[in-house]
Amino acid sequence: MIEVKNLSKHYKIVQKDPGLTGAIKSLFKRKYTTKKAVDEINFNIEDGEMVGYIGANGAGKSTTIKMLCGILTPSNGEITVNGIVPYKERKRNAKNIGAVFGQRTQLFWDIAVRESYELLKHIYEIPEEEFQASIAMFTEVLDLEPLMSVPVRQLSLGQKMRCELAAAFLHNPSIVYLDEPTIGLDVAVKVKIRQFIREMNRLRGTTVILTTHDMQDIEEICKRIIIIDEGKVLYDGSLQSIKERYGDKRIIHFELEREGEFQLPSSMADKVEWSYGDEGRVSISFSNHTITAADVISEMLQSYQIRDLTIADSKIETIVQDIYMRGI
Amino acid sequence: MRKYWEMMKSQIKVDMAYPLWYWASSVATVVQMLIIFAFWNAVYENRTTISDMSLEAMVTYTMIAVLLNDFVAGVGTQLANQVRDGSVSIELMRPYNLLDKLVALDLGFKISAVTRQTIPLLVIAYLFLGVSLPVSWEAALLFVLSAILGIFIGTQLDLILGIAAFWLDYIWGLRMLRGAILLFFTGALVPITMFPEWLRILSAYLPFQSMVFIPVSIYTGQLTGMAALQAMIIQVLWLAGIYAGIRVLWSYAIRRVTIFGG
Repeated sequence: MIEVKNLSKHYKIVQKDPGLTGAIKSLFKRKYTTKKAVDEINFNIEDGEMVGYIGANGAGKSTTIKMLCGILTPSNGEITVNGIVPYKERKRNAKNIGAVFGQRTQLFWDIAVRESYELLKHIYEIPEEEFQASIAMFTEVLDLEPLMSVPVRQLSLGQKMRCELAAAFLHNPSIVYLDEPTIGLDVAVKVKIRQFIREMNRLRGTTVILTTHDMQDIEEICKRIIIIDEGKVLYDGSLQSIKERYGDKRIIHFELEREGEFQLPSSMADKVEWSYGDEGRVSISFSNHTITAADVISEMLQSYQIRDLTIADSKIETIVQDIYMRGI
Repeated sequence: MRKYWEMMKSQIKVDMAYPLWYWASSVATVVQMLIIFAFWNAVYENRTTISDMSLEAMVTYTMIAVLLNDFVAGVGTQLANQVRDGSVSIELMRPYNLLDKLVALDLGFKISAVTRQTIPLLVIAYLFLGVSLPVSWEAALLFVLSAILGIFIGTQLDLILGIAAFWLDYIWGLRMLRGAILLFFTGALVPITMFPEWLRILSAYLPFQSMVFIPVSIYTGQLTGMAALQAMIIQVLWLAGIYAGIRVLWSYAIRRVTIFGG
């Protein structure tokens, strides 16, 4: 179980004036500004939960994950992970956690995948039987068999990520942090990775904390999301309820036959918002509660010749985009 | 301990996979040995001894020193690179000590280098370049022990370079400085007995002569009996002191990473 109370992390950043004179000046006198990367956040995560931790770039996601891993010391506040304060007992914490950082490899670069796993077996002191069972299962779910004898540096990105994921779960950690595990991967690999994560959670009850920019990952893996922006928690709750709260908004894009002036049919005047692009493109946005999509389309059909239309879905992606832009 | 042992073994396996590298560096060392041979032969042309050392003793000393010198470097540069690119923080998430891991990999590398490079080169040096065998069985045994101590001292000392990278952006200058100091003060270039008195005294208070000069002097018989044992006790003390000092520095460096985010 993870408990985070009033957690903050402030960085001191050296202010440098531009140019050579600025560089020389900064040798003698340094000005600092403080950046609040994480600012008084609170959350609890229960055993076996799968939580999406999302936010725009630079929102403070990675900083939080690093503090949970024990490799960053908080400026303020408290963290306990399974009763351990991570930054005080880094190595003890390390045995209970697994992690994948999408941008960095944790496997041993020059040796074959199988030997990397053998080394991890010794590093994490995994019992032989448990190790063999895990390897057998991972090989099947992630389709690792053909990769086992290949040195890590020769793997493609998708192959490497599958191997990394297996490495993170190998010592049966109670918590796994996944920092953008699907970045840069093709759809087929993404599907396989999501399936694997769900499977691990189901079979072993592993707690998963996932940061990603791919909302499909979130929809398929997480029941709960925490949205963070500028170091503060904007939303913490179920994926379902955020969809209900913000997801009733829909948009229909029309392409009209006739170009020129567009007049909204008067019957919809109070119920929708619209915008008019060039070449006869009209977007109409509305709430499910006030008018249905079918009504909007039929009203439009009565007044205009319509060449094409698309209905934008109420995906978490649009919701999150909305929240990033306008706040909650 | 087991995990570090396994890391060392895996490094040996990696090295077995890259045979070409051995040939390149073996050739480089042979060239170096030939130059030393030619140089000292020229120096000794008109005399039989320099500071009580015969040509044969001098050639033996410098060749053994050159071979040993390749082993007293360590993995400080590797650590510095990890600090620079930030991967050090990922390493901190593992249940091992990063310094011990790097040293274990380095030892694996050195073990494969001894078997595949140094021993063949020693045979060549003995057969063709006039290097003599250790003066006695006792000296041979003490030399091996003393050389291992020297290698450990060098490996630990080298880590300072990596730790410095936590504070400095570029350690290139430091690396150059280290190279110059080591070449001179370890006794890899010329025996320290040939230094002027004041330099000899200074050198006696530094750890560097424990890395090359002491083991090689045991090999050539300049240090024997009690004097050899005494020198080895000094090596052990240096090793313990440097090991402890590095750990203290390391804990400060880690605190810096975990507070400032590297």
